[in-house]
Amino acid sequence: MSFLPVFQREMAMLVHRIGGLGYLFSGLLFPMIYLLAFGWGLGSRVEVAGGYVAYLAKGMLAIAVMMNGFQQTAISVSAARFYFRTFSVLRMSPVSDFGIVFGIALAGAVRALFAGAAIFLAAWLFFDVQLLSLPGLLGIVLTAFCFAAFGVAVGLSIRGQEQFSVIINFFITPMTFFCGSFFPIANLPSAVGKVVSLLPLAQTNALLQADGWDGGAVAALILLAVLTALAFAWGVVRMKRYQEF
Amino acid sequence: MIVCAGEGPPAIEVQGVDCSRKGKQILKDVTLTVPKGTVFGLLGPNGAGKTTLIRLIAGLAWPDAGRIRVAGEDASRRSVAFRRRIGLVPQENTLESELTVGGSLLAYARLYGVAHPKVRVREAARKYHLTGFLARRPEEISGGMRRRAVIARAAMTDPDVLLLDEPSVGLDPDLRQEIWALVRTLQRAGKTILLTTHYMEEAETLCGRIAFLREGRLLLVDTADGIRRRAGADSLEQAFLRLSREEEEA
Repeated sequence: MSFLPVFQREMAMLVHRIGGLGYLFSGLLFPMIYLLAFGWGLGSRVEVAGGYVAYLAKGMLAIAVMMNGFQQTAISVSAARFYFRTFSVLRMSPVSDFGIVFGIALAGAVRALFAGAAIFLAAWLFFDVQLLSLPGLLGIVLTAFCFAAFGVAVGLSIRGQEQFSVIINFFITPMTFFCGSFFPIANLPSAVGKVVSLLPLAQTNALLQADGWDGGAVAALILLAVLTALAFAWGVVRMKRYQEF
Repeated sequence: MIVCAGEGPPAIEVQGVDCSRKGKQILKDVTLTVPKGTVFGLLGPNGAGKTTLIRLIAGLAWPDAGRIRVAGEDASRRSVAFRRRIGLVPQENTLESELTVGGSLLAYARLYGVAHPKVRVREAARKYHLTGFLARRPEEISGGMRRRAVIARAAMTDPDVLLLDEPSVGLDPDLRQEIWALVRTLQRAGKTILLTTHYMEEAETLCGRIAFLREGRLLLVDTADGIRRRAGADSLEQAFLRLSREEEEA
């Protein structure tokens, strides 16, 4: 349980940050705008099994969890390194590398799940979207942790805040649009679809859209778990090698 | 290469340390020993490599060559036991801006697995005269008070060795005296203290031994009196300038 004090510290800081409206809305605004704009504008015109609004609501839930898990965690870690210079407090503490990364990632996951809950509440209020299935719930929890762990690794790897935009532009944004949040991956050209199907957000969407534990949902859960483990392991390695001059 | 034999068992041993960063050599073959329970000063101008040496000793970075041991633990391995034995007070304010002073101390106590952390925070607040400031955020208190809080936080977990990087830089004379009193209190409690400074007076007042660091090289390690005598100077400042000149000529 060495991660617990790290988690408590991160959550205490989060409670303060949530007081700032900019922080609260920055991670929610885009998914909410997409949900409302596409839901109202295209909801009745796009043909998807189960209805487009329900499909889109789950896609926006996935995006909100990804963005909040990754972005806020990576910004928090990199700001602590470069701007506030408080990361040395964690690095020097007698908490294991595993515990530090797990504690930060868990706090990031909680933050991402809160954001996801807000999106889902909006979808339920505006569009009467139904509750998630068990694969969807598991998928969203794992996604939150996966992207938060990825955020820790990226936050520890980048050499300056400007490098952060490279990850956003070349990894997060393409995933946002191509991983099945707005339309099924099957609509993509076959070669693109095959590549995209390996990305974590594609697994999240597959799990969210699944009604039960069919072969696709199980495979998506396994792949997402593997990607989560890889992101976490990368974070631990970066933590072990972390230097601060 | 200058070795300080020291009076007691070593708390910090730095042996043949080289360190470069972005192609620039910051430390060159630095060797020194800090005896247990003493206050040791690293004196030198800006850019001499003092902060880098402190960070290497703290295990925050690794040297290119050489070895550092703190309380018998290898710094480069930065084991949990090693990290328990060190308290670092960096130059910057490292109190979390999102937390109150009390919250920051509490989070720190928990990270170090202190038993009854809230009680320990209250005790530290009493000891370091922070009781009235625990509910305030770092930006709501003075620079001197923040410095005091960071020192209290580092000392609260009872480390064997405290590393203070420019503890009184930018503080007015009254606050500097307060920080000096804190350092003396910590030494009386048996702590080994390594502090960096570019204030000659601070080094002379607080430190049993002083190392002169210039452009990454240790010029000399001795007591303040010994340094003055060896350099044939009336003051530490004169001695430093003379030793620097001799080093340049050599």
